[in-house]
Amino acid sequence: MCLALLIPSSLRDRRRYLVFEWLSERGIDKWTLLSEIRNSIFSLYGDVGASESKMRLIEYTNAEDTAGGMGILRCAHDKVEEVRAALACIHSANEARLSIRVIGISGTIKGATRLLR
Amino acid sequence: MSKFFDLHVHAYPETEVPAEELLRVAKRYGYTGIVITNHDDTVGSDLKSNSGFCGIEIRANSVADLKRKIKLYHGKVAVLAVHGGNDKINRAALEDHRVDVLAHPSGENREGALNQVLARFAAKNGVAIEFNLNAIIQSRRGERARMLLKMRSNLKLVRKYKAPLILTSNARTIYDLRAPREMIALASLFGMEREEAASALSDFPQGILEKRWKRENDVVVLKNENKKINY
Repeated sequence: MCLALLIPSSLRDRRRYLVFEWLSERGIDKWTLLSEIRNSIFSLYGDVGASESKMRLIEYTNAEDTAGGMGILRCAHDKVEEVRAALACIHSANEARLSIRVIGISGTIKGATRLLR
Repeated sequence: MSKFFDLHVHAYPETEVPAEELLRVAKRYGYTGIVITNHDDTVGSDLKSNSGFCGIEIRANSVADLKRKIKLYHGKVAVLAVHGGNDKINRAALEDHRVDVLAHPSGENREGALNQVLARFAAKNGVAIEFNLNAIIQSRRGERARMLLKMRSNLKLVRKYKAPLILTSNARTIYDLRAPREMIALASLFGMEREEAASALSDFPQGILEKRWKRENDVVVLKNENKKINY
C-alpha cells in the first residue's frame, strides 16, 4: 500500500491530469518521451520549479499507423500553464522532430482516460 | 470562440513541407488560417497559393533595397513582413506605413533591438511587432534566457506605445506549429498576460489582414481577394 494514500483526503495534493497528444517524425518510446519532458521542465524552471510542478507520466499510448500517440501527465493543480509551456518547448527527441499538444485537462484519472479515447 | 491566425509560416518553395499539409495541421490545432510568408529571395515573383493567405517576408541588405522591394510587393500580398534584425532595416520598416509586420525585430541571433522611437513609429504606422516563439522553443539555457530578456523589454515598449503585436510560430515544418493555448503559455514566459496573448493571436492578426490600422489612401486593400478566401 502506498503511504501517500493513507493521508486524509483533505490533506492530499490537488492535482490535474493533462491529456496530451504527441506527433513525431519517428516513433518514440515512453522513456525517451518522459526524459525529454523532464529535461524541458528542468531547463525551463530549474530543480525547484520542477519539484513544485510534481510532474509524473501516468499513461502513454503509441498509435500503430502513424508516428504519434497520446498520454496522460499528472501535475500540481496550480502549475498547469507552466507544464503546458514546458511541453510546448519540446522540439525534438532522439534527433527526430517532436511536438506535444495538450488536448484536455481533468481533475481525475477517470475523466482524463475518457478524453484519451 | 475567437479566430486564431498564425501570420508567419514558411512552406513549400522555401521548405519541403507543402502549404496544404501545414494548413491541415494548423486547422486541427484550432487555427482559422495561416499566412505563408516565404522569404522574397526564395519565391521570386511566384506568389500563388491556394491554401491559406499569401504573404511575403522581405529580406533586404540595405535600406534602398528594402524600399524597392516594398514598392514591388505592396498591394500584391495579404501580409507584407520584413525580416528584421539589422537596426537600420528595422527603422526603415517601421517608418513605412506599407509594411504590415516587422518579423523578429531582435533578429534571429539577437543582433538588433527596439527602442522608444521605433515603438512609437510602429504604433503610428500600424506596423505589428512580431514575437517569434520559435526562438524560445528551439534554444536552450543562456541563449534562451537572453532571448526572453529581449522579448520582455520589447513587450514593455510595445505596451507603453500601444503598438500592434502578434505571436507567431515561424514554422518550417509541421512539428514547429504549436496550438493557440500552447502559444499563450509560451508567451507567459516573458510576462505576457493571458488576454493580451490571446488578442495577439486573434484580434491583431485579423486587424492586419483587414488593414485596420491603415488609412484608406495609404494602402491598397486586397478586398476582392479577401472575400474569396473563406476563413
